[in-house]
Amino acid sequence: MSIYKSAVDKPVTTFMIFVAIMVMGAFSLINIPVDLYPEMEPPYVSVMTTYSGANAADIETNVTKVLEDALNSVDKLKEISSTSSDNISVISLEFEWDANLDEATNDIRDVIDRMLDNLPDGVDRPTIFKFNTSMFPILFYAITAEESYPGLEKLIDEKVINPLNRVDGVGSVAMVGTPQRMVYVDVDPKRLDAYDLTLEQIGSVISGENRNLPLGNLKMGKIDYQIRVQGEFSESERINNLVVASRDGKQVFVKDVATVRDTLKDVTLEERINGETGVRLFVMKQSGANTVKVARQIKDRLEELKVTLPPDVKIQEIFDSSTFIKGSISNLSSTLMYAMIFVVLVVLFFLGRWRATFIIVLTIPISLIVSFVYLYLTGSSLNVISLTSLSIAIGMVVDDAIVVLENITRHVERGSSPREAAIYATNEVWMSVIITTLVVVAVFFPLTLVSGMTGVLFNQLGWIVTITVVTSTLAAISLTPMLASRMLKLSQKKKPRRFSWENTIEKWLYKFDLMYENLLRRLLHYKSMVIISTFLVFFGSLFLMKYIGSDFMPESDESQIQANIELQTGLRVEETAKVTRQLEATIRDRYPEVELISSSSGADDEGGFISMFSTTGSNIINLTLRLSDIDERERTVWQIADDFRAQVALLPEVVSSTISTSTQGLGGSGNTVDYEIYGYNFDVTNLYAEQVLDRLKRMDGAQDVTISRKNDKPELQIVLDRNKLSEHGLTTAQVSMFIRNRINGLVPSYYKEEGEEYDIKIRLEEKYRNSISDIQEMTIVTPAGQKIKLKELGKIEEYWSPPSIEHKRRERLVTISASPDGISLGELANRIKTETAQLDTPPEIVVSVGGAYEDQQESFMDLAMLFGLSLILVFIVMASQFESLRMPLIIMFSIPFAFTGVILALVITGTTLSVVAALGAVLLVGIVVKNGIVLVDFINLMRDRGVELYEAIALSGRSRLRPVLMTAATTILGMLPLAMSTGEGAEIWRPMGITVIGGLIFSTLVTMVIVPVMYAVLASRGERRKKEKVRQQFVFMDK
Amino acid sequence: MKAVFIIFNQANTERVEYMLDRLDVRGYTWWNNVLGRGSVDGEPRMGTHTWPEINSAVMTIVPDEKVDVLLGKVQKLDEVNKEVGVRAFVWDVLKSV
Repeated sequence: MSIYKSAVDKPVTTFMIFVAIMVMGAFSLINIPVDLYPEMEPPYVSVMTTYSGANAADIETNVTKVLEDALNSVDKLKEISSTSSDNISVISLEFEWDANLDEATNDIRDVIDRMLDNLPDGVDRPTIFKFNTSMFPILFYAITAEESYPGLEKLIDEKVINPLNRVDGVGSVAMVGTPQRMVYVDVDPKRLDAYDLTLEQIGSVISGENRNLPLGNLKMGKIDYQIRVQGEFSESERINNLVVASRDGKQVFVKDVATVRDTLKDVTLEERINGETGVRLFVMKQSGANTVKVARQIKDRLEELKVTLPPDVKIQEIFDSSTFIKGSISNLSSTLMYAMIFVVLVVLFFLGRWRATFIIVLTIPISLIVSFVYLYLTGSSLNVISLTSLSIAIGMVVDDAIVVLENITRHVERGSSPREAAIYATNEVWMSVIITTLVVVAVFFPLTLVSGMTGVLFNQLGWIVTITVVTSTLAAISLTPMLASRMLKLSQKKKPRRFSWENTIEKWLYKFDLMYENLLRRLLHYKSMVIISTFLVFFGSLFLMKYIGSDFMPESDESQIQANIELQTGLRVEETAKVTRQLEATIRDRYPEVELISSSSGADDEGGFISMFSTTGSNIINLTLRLSDIDERERTVWQIADDFRAQVALLPEVVSSTISTSTQGLGGSGNTVDYEIYGYNFDVTNLYAEQVLDRLKRMDGAQDVTISRKNDKPELQIVLDRNKLSEHGLTTAQVSMFIRNRINGLVPSYYKEEGEEYDIKIRLEEKYRNSISDIQEMTIVTPAGQKIKLKELGKIEEYWSPPSIEHKRRERLVTISASPDGISLGELANRIKTETAQLDTPPEIVVSVGGAYEDQQESFMDLAMLFGLSLILVFIVMASQFESLRMPLIIMFSIPFAFTGVILALVITGTTLSVVAALGAVLLVGIVVKNGIVLVDFINLMRDRGVELYEAIALSGRSRLRPVLMTAATTILGMLPLAMSTGEGAEIWRPMGITVIGGLIFSTLVTMVIVPVMYAVLASRGERRKKEKVRQQFVFMDK
Repeated sequence: MKAVFIIFNQANTERVEYMLDRLDVRGYTWWNNVLGRGSVDGEPRMGTHTWPEINSAVMTIVPDEKVDVLLGKVQKLDEVNKEVGVRAFVWDVLKSV
């Protein structure tokens, strides 16, 4: 009992099975999360260690080096890099993509446990961070306020963050740049000295007074009373009136020696939105949650919450990753729809019958919907990759149904009843249908085996196409015969009307068939000429290769520009903010497209989570510009970024700047070429790096050239004289503590209000601590109660020290990165290599070129491997189908011409060869080979039926021209919307459409010429020999 | 009594069945998937990739007077489409038990 016979005999069951599949698919579709890319866990783990008070060099030798050496032995570690800066060491470990990060984290924890004893005493326990793409914020909001600004933190926390945290799928909601309340006690050192007091005494008074203490229980009568002292300040004003000491019978209050200010914390980070004061709010989703859905819910909830806020608080959206996702997905969905319409039209054009077209086209939704079931079961998301895969598959899924239906129709036209025709016609072709499907699977299945980042992207593609194509084959041998048996009619031959399909298109197609047959007959007499000229075309196209640039991932216009601008090292935040104002004015002036400017100048002194994603410092400005929608503006994001780059370069204050236009790009490293200089000696590497930087900045095609090693920053060192210290009975630690309390401040206690705690900070009033002489004049109290000035204990010297030291592969490193300007990444890397080759490299320095360029090289290597694997698998499938080693060879002769087509398409459209375009080229193998199989199979058939070689080739050519053109046309037109699409995210997949279309058009044309000719050359001798052999075996009969 | 041996393309299965019923031929022996080729023309029926089509055969023993009717029907069936093909051959039956 065969599958097609059962299907025809039990139409209801068959129909129900496919209805069940559709229902399951629809159910899955509703439940699949929507995202931009498949979720991935980049194999990065960071180890962060704090060692308060140590400078970068101390951290490097005492913490980073010790940990790095130990961590280097962790399994599956690919690369280790680190940054040692003041107080903190961050080590990043990059693992192989197939590494299990949970195991890796455990290994790291073991190593840290073992090494903990070898670290200095003051080191905090290292913390381990794991990254995941889902950790990146999905929504950014800007909140501005006027009157409510001082209380904004508490207000937003209660009225916005808490309710938003309760929304389904939200991982966390956080704020940056919030104004924090602080109670400052600014001490006047002269008055302090006059009253013979110290700052520490004030501190102990405040902490001693600001107390609530339970005193026990007391039973009186029938009642048990609790006794307590309520000393905590009910208002910050109270601090003013605390008594610090008594002098000559008069009490000294805090207000006599200091000013108490209940205010906002001094700025170290200034956040502005469109120039107004404000904070930034960002929302992160839980891993696996639907970005689009979470974003929508957050927005709805936020609308409700806005009503509860004071009228001057405004919430504006800076960035919403779901807009781009939604845009891309709807864009791709319409692409898919157009592809489907095109395919329907092609089928109708070639078949000319509505019923047949309907039966064939029905396989499209069925095959596509099964892939939704796959996505649902594996917990994947509906994303750009999965939708692109569907676009690729859509032209291929109809092929099998076409073959089956064509044969059924032939039988019906010969007079069989549709039911019998359906069974017996399917019986005749089901094997070859399965074989051609196997060829496609042979190309796509290896995609599921690729590892690394390319793997994450292409595994889904491989699975989806494999699943869809296999499903389409199953449908073609069950559903198609069933429907054919029911829907096709044994109609009487009517006289066709004047403008019917038979009288118009069919006539032309018939003429076309004849033309091709005649062409083939003629070409077969000039075999060597044909072969030589086609190969000349192929090799000629290889020379065009050099006009094609290469990229890692195509960049897309996300309507957003990010700028990181660095000013002179050590600049105070107030000065930085001035430059920010200037930049904001320029932006408002020059770019009406910019809808929102969010700036942050300086650094949050508590570091915090966000500083792990971007560099901050008092001299650094981070700008995020949101542009209007793509269709509402004339200039692209790149044009605006280029112009802005030029504007920034005009400012003399700017030391270096990076202006980038992609945020959701993959890999995170951006589109840069990194020139890495390894070497221990700072002076040698700095000198060399300076030379490289100079050359790269002057080089054509490089922009945003930045150096990773920051300029040394000025540092004041207090050099204490140990002899004098011991004379006064002091130690370095004591003196350091005194100075720290006076400059950085002492926090003896917290002021509590409505359940929140605010720091009370005592330190010298600003005017008494802003010069070297002020520091020298600081009073230190010796254990004997004597008061001496700091200048008596030592001197203050100015030094320069590196703010951070970077390591990669456990060696000191300077990275100079550049992004391409109008040229491709590969080209930039080559230019950098030739440019720097002229420099003489000191012997202790090692240099290498990496960055996104490195990823690109790795990905291309992966794809090359994949290509090889596909070729071998395709060969295996074909060789076993034809039971011959020569036939696959004939067919594979058409593959090089697919690449000629790809090269031409890329050159003509000016597209660069990115990973996506290269993948398109790999996919071509399967599609191109399929055409060859159809042709060669039929020539073989004719030969077996005893037709003479050239005649067989010509006849097969005529008979197979239509099916080949039809499958090629469905695939080409199916990809056309992909290649033509504009709008959000189109840049990502357009190259694939272009390569496949270019390759397919060209290779189809060439296949129709070269395959028959090659067949004539390679098969003629073989066939004759085979017959001769048989005759010799039976020679006894003739004796 | 005569034996009539009808060989036909599988695609004619339903018609042959109908024909036998119509003529009240009750007894027959049926072979599915038989291979062969015609002496004069037509495509061989080998069930291979080259010649994918397959025949079926039926042998029925009928009274003499039914033979011509049967052959007439087979002839008409063949005329529907010569390419599909149906043939009938008649033998004398000498004895039966």
